[in-house]
Amino acid sequence: MKNRKIGLHQFMAVPAFALYAVFFIYPLLKGIGLCFTDWDGIGTAHFIGLKNFIHFFHDERALSDIRTTVLFTLGSAPLLNIVGLIYALLMNSDFKGKSVARMCIYMPAIISPLIMGYIWYFLLQPGRGFLYHFFDGLGHPEWFGNWIGSYKSALFVLILVNVWQYAGMTMVIYLAGLQGISKELYEAAKIDGARWTDGFFRVTLPLLGPSIRINVITNIIGSLSVFDIVMSLTGGGPGYQTETLSIYIMRMCYGSKTGYSVAVAIILFLIVLVPVAAASWLMRKKEEE
Amino acid sequence: MKKRRVTALLMAMSMAITGLAGCGQTTKEEAKTGTGDAQVQTAEERAGENGTEGVETADSGEKVNIKLFTGKIETIDVMNEIIEDFNQSQDRITVEQEYQKDASNIIKIKFASDEVPDIMTTYEQGFVDEGKYMDLSDQEEWWSRMSPDMKTACTDVKQEKTFRVCTNMTMAGFFYNKEMFAELGIEEFPDQWDEFVEMLEEIKAQKPDVVPWFIFGSEAWHLGHLIEFIPHGYVKSELGTLEAKKAMLGNDQGQLKFAQTDGPMAVFARNMKQLQEKGLINEDVLTATNDNCVQDFVSGRAAMFSNGMWAISSVLEASPEMEDKIGFAPYPAYMPGSSPVVLSAEDSGYSISATTEHKEACIEFLNFLFLPENQLKYCEVAKAPSAFKDVTAKWAPESVVSEVSAALENAVNIGYTNEKPAGFSGDDAGRMLQNLFAGQYTPEEFAQAYTDAWNDGFGGAGDGE
Repeated sequence: MKNRKIGLHQFMAVPAFALYAVFFIYPLLKGIGLCFTDWDGIGTAHFIGLKNFIHFFHDERALSDIRTTVLFTLGSAPLLNIVGLIYALLMNSDFKGKSVARMCIYMPAIISPLIMGYIWYFLLQPGRGFLYHFFDGLGHPEWFGNWIGSYKSALFVLILVNVWQYAGMTMVIYLAGLQGISKELYEAAKIDGARWTDGFFRVTLPLLGPSIRINVITNIIGSLSVFDIVMSLTGGGPGYQTETLSIYIMRMCYGSKTGYSVAVAIILFLIVLVPVAAASWLMRKKEEE
Repeated sequence: MKKRRVTALLMAMSMAITGLAGCGQTTKEEAKTGTGDAQVQTAEERAGENGTEGVETADSGEKVNIKLFTGKIETIDVMNEIIEDFNQSQDRITVEQEYQKDASNIIKIKFASDEVPDIMTTYEQGFVDEGKYMDLSDQEEWWSRMSPDMKTACTDVKQEKTFRVCTNMTMAGFFYNKEMFAELGIEEFPDQWDEFVEMLEEIKAQKPDVVPWFIFGSEAWHLGHLIEFIPHGYVKSELGTLEAKKAMLGNDQGQLKFAQTDGPMAVFARNMKQLQEKGLINEDVLTATNDNCVQDFVSGRAAMFSNGMWAISSVLEASPEMEDKIGFAPYPAYMPGSSPVVLSAEDSGYSISATTEHKEACIEFLNFLFLPENQLKYCEVAKAPSAFKDVTAKWAPESVVSEVSAALENAVNIGYTNEKPAGFSGDDAGRMLQNLFAGQYTPEEFAQAYTDAWNDGFGGAGDGE
């Protein structure tokens, strides 16, 4: 009877597996096949071996896009976790208007990143945006700079907008983790003479391990594969200066270099996989200790 | 228990089948909408055949559905109106319009997934080379009505065949504020670059709050158009339309001279940098949008901008009083011994898929669309003159029409570069100009980078920039 049940349950997974196979496994296998070809998206694909992969490492634009993507991730992923954790600690305490504050923090996360990008564009547009007029109204238009029109500041703006949008999401996961920690542990620590910082570093952080792991991994994945916020706010520009690898893949795919774009997509997959696997392994090891 | 298992089994199977059915190829499904032999013959099977063979006729009794794919937002309503009239006029064919904002990219997905529309307004040299469009050279009825220049513009240089019918012409040059120019005492729009710069300086000196030339550089296509109309325009004016097309198709850098330090690209880049440094273009060139341009132009904060005829409707929508104030001029000559140029190119092109099962139905619909009364309606909405000799439309205010006619008479008329490499789009070119404005390139580096990107674009897959 038990075996029959298992068989039935496994069979019930068939539709989900079939959909997964059609929409994920098949495209992945097809993609692996295409990355060794010179397919331009129109004509016949010819096998060219590893040429696409070799070319990638000589492609200045692609290498510059990797740099942009990594810098974005290095700024975005840690900030998301720090800000999300601070928000969660605040929301875990008692104060008036907590529900409203929680809603305000989380709301940007449910708005489409594309729309968010356009809204921020109209806020930050040099000489025309809301913030320019705000500073102008204060009599200090010089306080407003061409933040989305130059490389360094544009990347910084992108990181901040990304953090502003997704910190609420990170907060929710941390908050769930915090609410799962027994208050008795803090009381016991307090009796032992622990200060707030001791409680945070010796009780809260270790017990937040699973939440930290989820947040770090999802934020690394999200930041390394960032697309929409960059596309709508700077379009990868000026020029190619804030172009990320995901945007590059899309542009190559539609730019008659489809085989090459698939190869770059596989490289991006590996770029995402390495830090995610490393972070996951390190944190699991830490938790086991 | 057995009953539950059977129910579960049936449910699982039905869900799986439903899921998989949605992912199936649609060509067979589409074939079933046809009749006769075409019912069992898929597009795939017929892909290798001549496009005109094995095509189903529309008079076989069953209703034929044909899809028209377009990226032209400004003509959606008028096209729906014409389509509705056509669908009402007979009961054998139903035409459906599909609009996609990113049509030139979406069509690639449609070709790759064998969901090719029967008629499309998107056109690319790569698709021509791959035999994706039906040869329309034998449609004498259409060609006999078309102006010879437009027929030439529709003809593929490589195969000397026509794969699209363009019903309209479009022009591009400088739109300027005639009233402001008169106020400043500028009587004639200069036709040489040095004089043009002097004019911009004069505007700047007399009206410091006015941007002499507004460039909305956040939109890469606009910057791509500047390259298309100015340096590419020079190449076309120097070599002639046909020779320029051949040089571009064959990537003959000996004639194109893109990388040379005194070539069309480097000189163009130098000129643009000079304008930027002198403050003769808007400071926010890298972040300004098309809407900003229109608003600044109609409010008198910008004296001029470069664009095509499609810009007229948004200018008049923003301020109908501009009707008599819009001036139009060619791009001044910027290379030694060259002539001013103005774009006068094909527009609103229709191609039929080489694999359509409804060739006759497509042609019947296009015959209807090309009727003079329908073209009249279309031209007025599209704000573009007709390519047909028997259609005289009021496509723009009279004053604009006369300005455009004068510009066309006084400058070398150039067409679009359809022969550019598939892997190097106008947007890509525009992004390179963004880099120039952002200080990432010197003019010489820009010329070299442009040449490299152009050459790489010809390389196809595996040759990114």
